[in-house]
Amino acid sequence: MKTRVQILGFVTAMAISGLVAGCGSSSGPVASSGDVIKLGAYSVVREAFHDALIPAFQQHWKQKTGREVSFEESYNASGAQARAIASGFDADVAILSHSGDMNQLVQANRVAKDWDQNATHGIVTHSVVVIGHRDGNPKGIKDWSDLAKPGVGVLYPDPKTSGGARWNINAIYGSALLASKAASGGSPDLAAVGDLLKRVQANVVNMDASGRQSMASFSERGIGDAVVTYENEILLRKKEAKPIEYVVPEATLLIESPAAVVDSSVEKHKNREVATAFLAFLTSSEGQKLLADYGFRPVDPASPALAEFPKPAKLFTMADLGGWDEVQTAVYGPKGLWTSIFSDQGK
Amino acid sequence: MARVETKRGGGDTGLPDLALRGMTLGYLGWMVVLPIVALGYQALAAGPQAFLDAVLDPQAIHALKLTVVTALVMVVINVVMGTATAWVLVRYEFPGKRVMNALIDLPFAVPTVVTGLMLVLLYGPSSVLGTILGQYGFSVIYAQPGIVLALLFVSYPFAIRSVQPVLLELDRAEEEAAATMGASGWLTFWRVTLPTLVPAIITGAGLSFGRALGEFGSVILVAGNQPMKTKTTPLYVFGEIESGNKQGAMAVSLVLLALSLGVLIFLNLYQRRWSPEDGH
Amino acid sequence: MAINQALTGEPNGFNRMSASKWGSLPIGRWLLMTVVIGWFAVLILVPTVALARQAFAAGLAPLGRAMASDEFLRAFGMTIGITLVAVVVNTIFGVCFALVLVRQRFWCKTLADGLVDLPFAISPVVTGLMLVVLYGPDGWIGRYLEAGGFKVVYALPGMILATLFVTLPFVVRGVVPVLQEFGVDQVEAAYILGAGRWVTFWRVTLPSIRWGLAYSVLLLIARSLGEFGAVMVVSGNLLGHTQTATLYVHDGIEGFRPEGAYAASLLLAAVSFFMLIGMGTLRKRVKTSKQT
Repeated sequence: MKTRVQILGFVTAMAISGLVAGCGSSSGPVASSGDVIKLGAYSVVREAFHDALIPAFQQHWKQKTGREVSFEESYNASGAQARAIASGFDADVAILSHSGDMNQLVQANRVAKDWDQNATHGIVTHSVVVIGHRDGNPKGIKDWSDLAKPGVGVLYPDPKTSGGARWNINAIYGSALLASKAASGGSPDLAAVGDLLKRVQANVVNMDASGRQSMASFSERGIGDAVVTYENEILLRKKEAKPIEYVVPEATLLIESPAAVVDSSVEKHKNREVATAFLAFLTSSEGQKLLADYGFRPVDPASPALAEFPKPAKLFTMADLGGWDEVQTAVYGPKGLWTSIFSDQGK
Repeated sequence: MARVETKRGGGDTGLPDLALRGMTLGYLGWMVVLPIVALGYQALAAGPQAFLDAVLDPQAIHALKLTVVTALVMVVINVVMGTATAWVLVRYEFPGKRVMNALIDLPFAVPTVVTGLMLVLLYGPSSVLGTILGQYGFSVIYAQPGIVLALLFVSYPFAIRSVQPVLLELDRAEEEAAATMGASGWLTFWRVTLPTLVPAIITGAGLSFGRALGEFGSVILVAGNQPMKTKTTPLYVFGEIESGNKQGAMAVSLVLLALSLGVLIFLNLYQRRWSPEDGH
Repeated sequence: MAINQALTGEPNGFNRMSASKWGSLPIGRWLLMTVVIGWFAVLILVPTVALARQAFAAGLAPLGRAMASDEFLRAFGMTIGITLVAVVVNTIFGVCFALVLVRQRFWCKTLADGLVDLPFAISPVVTGLMLVVLYGPDGWIGRYLEAGGFKVVYALPGMILATLFVTLPFVVRGVVPVLQEFGVDQVEAAYILGAGRWVTFWRVTLPSIRWGLAYSVLLLIARSLGEFGAVMVVSGNLLGHTQTATLYVHDGIEGFRPEGAYAASLLLAAVSFFMLIGMGTLRKRVKTSKQT
């Protein structure tokens, strides 16, 4: 009898200690006067934040206020992260791939409507969409239309789960749209644009759940001939001594990634001060310099660091394409150019 | 499921018995019934039209078809190989048999995400095997064969472990009689042994099929996730959850749930008909 | 259920006579053996070896470093903690419900019996979705819990619930047949001799089912260690907080240092493998205990 009770007690004790071990705070010391920030970010910024920005901010905060701040970090595909925060994940700061995902949070009453009313319009990083390819560029990939060539294996992530995928596809869509508009003097040939998207999609080998997974598939597992990705992802690989050659197409899309304080969470956690400070840190000169180390272009157009990045001939933005909502409907909506690729295949 | 015969112990049902019954049924109802009811209700709450729209979406239909077809293909292969494997394990002797027999259960124990990783490492485009197969134009990973491969791995033990015990307990009298009458080994198997194995084979097939319908962790790394090509139903549901299309996710989940339940009910009924005696 | 039948298959008990006398032509037999063993090797063995090779490709040092990292330890701590909860709760439920099923008779018994098998049949993604629907901020139960500040989804309780759901049937299904074989004679004898219910349970019933129980608990642990789909949907994949070992593997594959993912995969597979060996021994004990 006694041994059974002992065993039961032991098991319960182990269960509790296991849970406690698994539940411990993740990074940074938690002093009695410690602040905590819960970060909900997209997967691509993981290294930049985990290795550089967070430790730098912790130091900055200690110097400024004498308090320690610890971080609980979650990195996920942008769409997944946005959905998680909208459905109740109580991140204090949301760092997402694009404003469309941020708007989701506004609509779910997590983020205030005026999140983009600041000097940088809520944007903390810039990058451009580029195409990574194999060494020596055996398939001769120089522009978006080359992705549609037969025999080219293309990688980009699934727009359903990845914000990054939307940047990629929007870049292809946008360049074709603007070129078509310029050629025809105003009214673009949507059928041709749709056709390009379709032919590129036909070459896609695998649609991973996030941009990071696509990069891993391309470089670690040797899949595909071309990966459509962010410039900063490529530069990060160079930094990690696993370089990938890439080409910046003539006309490409400026990637503007936002960050915002999640009001519903900071109200609950009572850490608005430190969360806002963190956000400000990201666009400060120190923060931007750290981000540049990880391949992100500075947000300030006057910044001298910008000169080190290649300048594409035609850089367009989402605003040039009509904004996120317009593109959402035109490309990913029920009758959208990209969605139609699959309904046409309907068996 | 064998029909559970009641063996009454100690008097009529007293209070402690009722308490036990109440608590366990309560737990069961809370943990299993309630979530299913909640899903069903929410899925249909927006009205039958919304439900049908979600289910009849071409991508959903394709995903459902793909799941069923790959599951069926896998079941056929699994049943044949499973019966053969059970036969070899029971009737033959060879070095390493005990090890192999223990390892049959490996897929039960390996997490599905690890399965996916193993298959990508082995058959992925950058591996030796993958490159060789690729040269023959045969792609495994990120194509439908990859899905079947992952399903074969995770369901491998089902077919074997269903047939094995039956083979072990088999009365050899009829086989011996057939042999003495001059029947060849193959004929004896086909006409005498196999018919007695059919219930076990069907059970194994049912279990494999049910497992394959819902398989997620291994398929997500291996399938390619291409809509209308390699997106199975669980992958489709996952994509819809992640992109905020809860209605679509719930509706298709309900269909998948109904399919799985159908398999379960079929297995239960079938077992009742074919094994009226308890004990197996 | 059929699972039980499938699971109590025996490793030996083979008739020595049969190999030589009743097998088909030697060439046919060799062919069959080659095909079967070849299939086993290609499907099961080779991928496992490939994983091990890849894991050790960079040497032991990176593996060791990965296994000592915070994230790795927390992920495994989380998995172990959740597994222990699942073991305790579902074992208690399993034994109690097995007793109810075998020894009591009531109007919805057949239905309840069938319901227990449901978690076997449901896709993990659907499980996760059901829990989000029920316990999320808009869910029937979730809305009250969230108002009270208790988070289920994107937090530990949700992950525990998901694991409890998928491991629910194991102990019931393992214990019921053993309990049935055991019968009630000894229990009744104990009652006649004046022993109370509790004493009878501890001294008579429990020892009789111990091998079946142990076997199903091992299966439960293996299943819980490997749970992925449901937990992925329900948790926020919060680094170091709601990340289980399997989520850690999935996460690590896409990172720059996949050694952690490989190490975790190897560890999970190895633990399961050793439990398999244990299961093999227990299977024999279940069989012999059924025969006594």
